[in-house]
Amino acid sequence: MYKLTLIARYLVKRRITHFAMAAVTLCVFAVMVVMTVMTGLVGDFKKRNHAFFGDCIIGTESLVGFPYYEEFMARAEGTGLVEGISPVVKSYAILNADTGYEDNVELLGLDPVRHSRATSFGRTLYFHPDRVEKAFEPMYDPNAPGCVLGIDRILQRDARGRYVHYDRPFQIGLALTCFPLTAKGALAEAATTLVRTKRFLYSDNSHSGIARVDTDYVYISLDEAQGLCMAGEEKRVTALHVKFRPGVGLEEGCRRMADLWRQFRSDKATAPHGVLLDTVSVQSWRTYRRATVAPMEQEQLLLSLMFVLVGVTTVFVVFVVFYMIVNSKRKDIGVLKSVGASNTSVLALFQGFAFGIGAIGAGAGVLFAWLFLSRINAIEEWLYRNFNFQIWDRSIYVIGDIPSRVEFPVLAVIVSCAILACLFGALVPSYLAVRLRPVETLHAGRP
Amino acid sequence: MLKLFLWLKYVRKRRIILLSVVAVALSVALLIAVASLFTGFIAAFERSAAETVGDILLRAPEGIRFEKYPALLERLEESDLVEAATASLSAEGLVHLGGGNVRPVVIWGIEPGRRSRAMEFKETLISQRHAAQEPSFAVPGAPGETGGFVGIGVLAKPDEQTDQYDQDAIRRERINQQARLITGTMELKPTGERGPRRRTITFRIVDIVFAGVYLFDSSFVYIPIEVLQRELYPQEKDPVATHINVKLKPGVAAEAAVEPLRGIWQAFATRELNWSSMAIDLTAIRTAREMQRIYVGEFEKQKRILEITFSAVSVSVVVLVFCIFHMMVRLKQKDMAILKSCGAASSSVVGLFLGFGVSVGVAGSGLGTALGYLITRHINQVEEGIRLLFGLKLWRSSVYMFDRIPNEVDWSSALLYAALALTAAAVGALLPAVAAARTRPVEVLRHE
Repeated sequence: MYKLTLIARYLVKRRITHFAMAAVTLCVFAVMVVMTVMTGLVGDFKKRNHAFFGDCIIGTESLVGFPYYEEFMARAEGTGLVEGISPVVKSYAILNADTGYEDNVELLGLDPVRHSRATSFGRTLYFHPDRVEKAFEPMYDPNAPGCVLGIDRILQRDARGRYVHYDRPFQIGLALTCFPLTAKGALAEAATTLVRTKRFLYSDNSHSGIARVDTDYVYISLDEAQGLCMAGEEKRVTALHVKFRPGVGLEEGCRRMADLWRQFRSDKATAPHGVLLDTVSVQSWRTYRRATVAPMEQEQLLLSLMFVLVGVTTVFVVFVVFYMIVNSKRKDIGVLKSVGASNTSVLALFQGFAFGIGAIGAGAGVLFAWLFLSRINAIEEWLYRNFNFQIWDRSIYVIGDIPSRVEFPVLAVIVSCAILACLFGALVPSYLAVRLRPVETLHAGRP
Repeated sequence: MLKLFLWLKYVRKRRIILLSVVAVALSVALLIAVASLFTGFIAAFERSAAETVGDILLRAPEGIRFEKYPALLERLEESDLVEAATASLSAEGLVHLGGGNVRPVVIWGIEPGRRSRAMEFKETLISQRHAAQEPSFAVPGAPGETGGFVGIGVLAKPDEQTDQYDQDAIRRERINQQARLITGTMELKPTGERGPRRRTITFRIVDIVFAGVYLFDSSFVYIPIEVLQRELYPQEKDPVATHINVKLKPGVAAEAAVEPLRGIWQAFATRELNWSSMAIDLTAIRTAREMQRIYVGEFEKQKRILEITFSAVSVSVVVLVFCIFHMMVRLKQKDMAILKSCGAASSSVVGLFLGFGVSVGVAGSGLGTALGYLITRHINQVEEGIRLLFGLKLWRSSVYMFDRIPNEVDWSSALLYAALALTAAAVGALLPAVAAARTRPVEVLRHE
């Protein structure tokens, strides 16, 4: 009890401790705001990638693709693990719009219904989110082949990152030209031309929230893509996107898909072009998208490390404050020890005091950070209206609102680190207090 | 002299003061490193644009091309402002490199010799960079064949661990390999509809481009401008180009040269090309810096936000200095009392502690600047060390554009942060110094 009394007394009477608390508050506030925003951005980006690419991707990097995919899909669906599986053809094409606009695009051929079962594709469509089977049917000419464009290819974002949509898709024709490849990877030179071109009508746009996807991708039906990009009798695809049933863990599902694929590959080893199956790998969405996601996670880690470096100053502040308190409270310590307080009790007293400073400082930091974060978008809006200032220019960055939801794990780590920093900062002064000898501190004439 | 003696004594006796020096140094080093990395990145971004498009770029309006460009280049080079100028023709395309390897590329029709005079182009060619003569598309042993240069990232991926290309292996495997491009333009068909007109260009890879800028290395293919023109615009009698790249003479400011160049262009377009005034006005004449302005502005904003965040957290340095000086003043009350009883003025006591605070600031910011300099200059080695120790590759050209981390120290920011740190130390020491000056000798020395 006396420890609590002393801690409360020191907290109230020794105003220098308020500086230690202020330092902790400042540090916790800054770290929490930055980490909440950063974690929100990274988490959101990962969520979008997961939704858009499904749980597991069985695919090859070669544009030649692989055959017998329908047989494998039937086997996969028979395992009871799979909720949706979608074959896709990924390739590159030159796009020529009727307007004269020309660009390179990434072409994704897919079955919209199947793909929407395996990924979030259906939800990304603007005109057909509930009728994905009509995704490639242009409203103004339902019999013509249609294409879905990544939203940034067709619409522009305003300064607040919002797209201006229209009631119907524009009536635009888009010619797509590809190199059709044989199963051996050669150009289909036997045909009259080396390239194949087909005109599509713009039927919908897809907003996945992933910058490169929304800028580069053009979607057409799987059959059209196979006709444009693949030559030869055997139908081929470049990937299968899989969504597992609820309750199937990502790692477990991917492992079992990999086993299934190994078995399938060995069964088809002697089939014509069965060698193409050797180039296929089975990856979770995390591994498949690591080149994109990992740099963001690394940036988050780097920023955390930089804050740790800056946070060292807070440890110094706590150390100095405790050093002062131990020096000025030598008599208290002497009296305590002379009436029987053990070394452990003295250590516990000062470590408890440090805990108190850390907890109060961190609590105040969390409170201020929460207040700030809950208004961060309103503050940015005010800054934009009055000073034309945005933290991220939404016409450049694919960011909606600034993430402001405080994640409990982040909060717990920050508060724990702040308290640990205080305990660490107070460790040496506490040890010095333990080593004080009553006979010296209570000696007459000693200050 | 007395002050100096006391400072030295305090430093020797009260080692805790070194904590404030370390804290100041850490903050200064971190801020200098962050500011330098951002500034270096922005500078590299601007430099890469200038090296790729020249100091000033003239771009023809959509659907129109610069005809008779050799005469235009001549006019431009006659100007006192221009050191060299070159033309290029660009188109989107796909390249087939064999074995199912198809990549989207930007095809540039260029004049390699002129381009090397107007830009840092020759230095980017792996095979011809050390050759005495100007770079060329000539295919050794096959004078009639078309040669081409291909970006290194189009041909191969960098090593997953080191992010480095195996240049020798790529050169061995790819030089003299045949590749095929498809490109084309939209044309009016006899039916009145517009449709794409496709062309296939077969060429041999005679050199590999490694500019160290991911975008260029991973998506550019260069072929002779006349070959691309022949395929895209066979009906054109005169040579045509879509871009004119201009290198200015040393000392000529790009922004100041835009209007004189516009004058030369307007005179040429009116007299030689008979262009309408609208087409002339639609021709974009911009400096490389201007073309990147929107992105540079955004990078600078992010830099400022990060600097402000770290500066705010660094306020705890002021708190630390305050605490340490507060403690010293309390512990050294007798010194103050003796000084004052010997006639020292209050201002002298304030000066003693304030001077000591400034000294801490000077030492901390000096140490921090040195540390910031070392970290920034050796940032690539630091990054490599982290990779070797933890297997964590922090910098990839595919993410951050450049193959190396910019390591130039931003001295203006460094000086600013050093000065701010010094001020912070002085501010932290101010209140304790005033408290020291208010010491009353009679109270402190009463019991002695």
